[in-house]
Amino acid sequence: MTDRGRDIPAPPARWKRLVGEDGIQKWVFYIPVVFFILFFAAPMALTVVWSVFERTQFWMEPGFTLFAYENFFTSARAENYVLSMLHAAAAVVISFVIGFPIAVFIRRRVTRAAQHRVILLFILPFMISELVRVFAMRPVLGRNGVVNSVLMELGILSEPITVILYSPLGVIIGDVMSFLPFMIFAGFLALEAVQNYIFEVCDDLGTGRVRLFADIVLPLAAPGIFAGSVFIFVNSMGVALVPTLLGGPGAVNAGLIANQAIVALDFPLAMAISTIMIFTLVLLLYIGHRLFDLTKILEPIS
Amino acid sequence: MTEPAAKAVEVVELGKNYGPVTALKSVSFSIESGRYYALLGPSGGGKTTLLRLIGGFLRPSAGRIFLHGHDVSHLPPNRRPTSMVFQNYALFPHMTVERNVAYGLKLLRVPASDIRDRVDRMLAMVGLVGYNRRMPHELSGGQQQRVQLARSLVLERDILLLDEPLASLDAKLRKDMCLELKRIQEKVGITFIHVTHNQEEALTVADRIAIIADGELVEEGSARDVYETPNKRFTAEFIGDNNVLEGTVSDVSATGATLDIGFAKIEVPAPAASISTGERAAFSIRSELLRIAGRDEDIGASWQVVPARYVEDVYLGLTVSHLVQLPDGTEVVARVMSDSGDNGRFEPGDDVAVGWPANRARLHVA
Amino acid sequence: MYDDFANPWTIRLKWAYLLAVVFALLMPVFYTIGISFNLHGFGARIYEFTFDWYRVVLGDTLLVISLKWTLYLAVATIAATIPMALLSAKFYKRTRRKVAFVALMLSPLFVPADIMGSSLLVFFKNLAKGFAWLGQSLGVGWFDSWFDLGFLTAVIGQIIYTHPYAFIVILITMSRYRVQQTEAARACGANAWQAFWHVEFPQIRVGVFSSCAFVTILSFNEAVRTALLKGGFDTFSNMLVAQMLNIGMSGESYAMAGIMSIVSMIVIGTVIVYTLVRAERLERRARAMAEPVMSG
Repeated sequence: MTDRGRDIPAPPARWKRLVGEDGIQKWVFYIPVVFFILFFAAPMALTVVWSVFERTQFWMEPGFTLFAYENFFTSARAENYVLSMLHAAAAVVISFVIGFPIAVFIRRRVTRAAQHRVILLFILPFMISELVRVFAMRPVLGRNGVVNSVLMELGILSEPITVILYSPLGVIIGDVMSFLPFMIFAGFLALEAVQNYIFEVCDDLGTGRVRLFADIVLPLAAPGIFAGSVFIFVNSMGVALVPTLLGGPGAVNAGLIANQAIVALDFPLAMAISTIMIFTLVLLLYIGHRLFDLTKILEPIS
Repeated sequence: MTEPAAKAVEVVELGKNYGPVTALKSVSFSIESGRYYALLGPSGGGKTTLLRLIGGFLRPSAGRIFLHGHDVSHLPPNRRPTSMVFQNYALFPHMTVERNVAYGLKLLRVPASDIRDRVDRMLAMVGLVGYNRRMPHELSGGQQQRVQLARSLVLERDILLLDEPLASLDAKLRKDMCLELKRIQEKVGITFIHVTHNQEEALTVADRIAIIADGELVEEGSARDVYETPNKRFTAEFIGDNNVLEGTVSDVSATGATLDIGFAKIEVPAPAASISTGERAAFSIRSELLRIAGRDEDIGASWQVVPARYVEDVYLGLTVSHLVQLPDGTEVVARVMSDSGDNGRFEPGDDVAVGWPANRARLHVA
Repeated sequence: MYDDFANPWTIRLKWAYLLAVVFALLMPVFYTIGISFNLHGFGARIYEFTFDWYRVVLGDTLLVISLKWTLYLAVATIAATIPMALLSAKFYKRTRRKVAFVALMLSPLFVPADIMGSSLLVFFKNLAKGFAWLGQSLGVGWFDSWFDLGFLTAVIGQIIYTHPYAFIVILITMSRYRVQQTEAARACGANAWQAFWHVEFPQIRVGVFSSCAFVTILSFNEAVRTALLKGGFDTFSNMLVAQMLNIGMSGESYAMAGIMSIVSMIVIGTVIVYTLVRAERLERRARAMAEPVMSG
């Protein structure tokens, strides 16, 4: 090996540097960012602009008018919007009560190796079309559906209960059935980041169940619970399918109001509703971030 | 291409920032071909950054890197004549030992029969004959590092970079691997650059050592020089077990300087240092050179002796450390072999004298 | 983790509760499938097994065409989403603005289907008008109809929808991967692509495959965004919505719902079985490892 360094190539030509690792190859990694700014962030931001455009017969034209907002706030839409917020809040609370204990149970009482398999059980229903799952609530909750026939068969009911379908209650049930798994995922992910020794220390100190839950589990899982709650909340408000299929006559939520505006070719109104929805979401996320520091959720993947 | 260069690595004013954080300030040095070179320093001092810059895993913020006389600053790792051994987790877990070692040769499109030969030869060199079909997780930590070594050496690149290669091994294994690395380097004859924070490891393997701290090259020299006659105070404090005392220069002569440390004036040899009277300076003396005696005992003619008070002894296995306190309150340590008769002579609180050969102290200008 | 002092009956009770919730979530779907095989449809007193409803559905040319479109859409969405999710995950690893990047990538999860669909609809309509105007002013028309509502806009809508899921799955798999291995590959002489393809990809393959399955199912099931953005064609789920809204709970709707859920279950079932078999294999290997290995 007398001629050491014989393999060292000369500096590459300029064009080669252009496609090399500092040239185009480096910019390839920006494709997703550009794509999401162009086709997600930009449309969302422009929604605000379009919401103040003038409505024309089939489309809209540039201008500044708050007519769409006036239209929204002075009609039954505002009232329906608030009502759908209440329904969504109810769905969040019910999902938390049903789902979060399951997340805690999986984290604390299931062996490490089996935890992800148990979580898979909850991914399975989520993988089946929401459309189908919501639709399937009809034969289950209907007047002569499963719930009523079983309860009547058992003699618990003498009359079928009709309040659980084509009613606000039906919408809430549909939302819970659709989005419950998310509370379990989010709660579990947040708890997974909690080290085992924390629970052991609590056992050692003799922390009672209630205190353990209130002082340890809840604060540590708060960012995850919050993320899950926001997800359920905005989707309960925004997915038009549920009130369409399970709500009674006139049942709407924010998504359905926007959808109806599109169908009526009132694009500025649809954009105004989207804007209000997006602002609701951003406000919620901002509050949550101030309270719980949502960046903590990212810890397991960084 | 060009005539063979004696310098395997030459680094000129090399610097690296991570945003506002400076990892490496402006380092210049060179390494002769065929040396075993150690980059030694505390964690976070910039030695790994320097190694990764040489390897091409980082892009310099300033300065140039020449390997065998060629500027490689712009080249990615796979186009440099270097190869790297990592601390851990660097074997490809989905490939057998054999495929791990063969991987680089495959990329070079070496014929399959050649690959087999070279892989077997390399596995023999690192002492892993017959491990060809094992998966990485079936190997111990030391074996994994041997495979990494084989994977790098099989490429016959001219410079091997080792990034804390023994840090995840236990003490005994680390010692064995040090000697093994040294043996392999002597056999293959290429340049090894070995990053470590462990001074014993550096002293065992390296011909030459560079001390890197705070993003700067503190001192560079042969292993013996760095250990026995460090120029910089930092080196004295970092390598070996040195006592460092501070004072003011009271007199300068052709061969040395006199340091006033408050309760005594100390003669320190200073052959080439440019100092002047009144300057603050320090000197260091290795703890194994110190000797403790009774106040009126004669330690030796050319010895520098100061009064002290005995504090305690600490048994360390091979040696015993004796702690004494000087009149100004500083504590110094004298290390004595455990089986020598010098242990157990004094009780805590005894008035003693501590001395060292006057010509073994080293002056450090601030 | 397992508590040796816990009362076994409490644990059994909790398991029962967990399984009851799973049952409640799944029961409606299986009930629907059950109805779809009943000759007499929903609410009938007698159950007579039949494939008739499926025969009707699959004999309907329009439905078969819609299945074809569904398939095209799914293939196009996977082809775009998976490479992009890989790029995003790689970008995440190297960028310093991790939080901002992840916020951008994951926020589509929080925008409900109808809202995102409406916004994108208006966006694409404006974009199409803008391009048409641009074409007219420049006198060249080859890009006029790029963003007219159609297959491309539907695919973009689906990418925005499915990408966050694929991104998370790939990112989680990638988080177990050690960067040193890429560097080691580079030190062995591999270029960036070879290092990825030979060393990193084999280790994250499982994540890539499961995100493929994930995206397939999401694309297959998606109805709202597609309905708003698709332009002139119908997917299977669009047809099902129309069927449910116009005709209501007919035998065909049950059969269509049945097809949708059975397809999803087959895909996810395959993934689960594959994952479990793989886990089993890894476990066996780990056991073999625990036993002393002969050094030959």
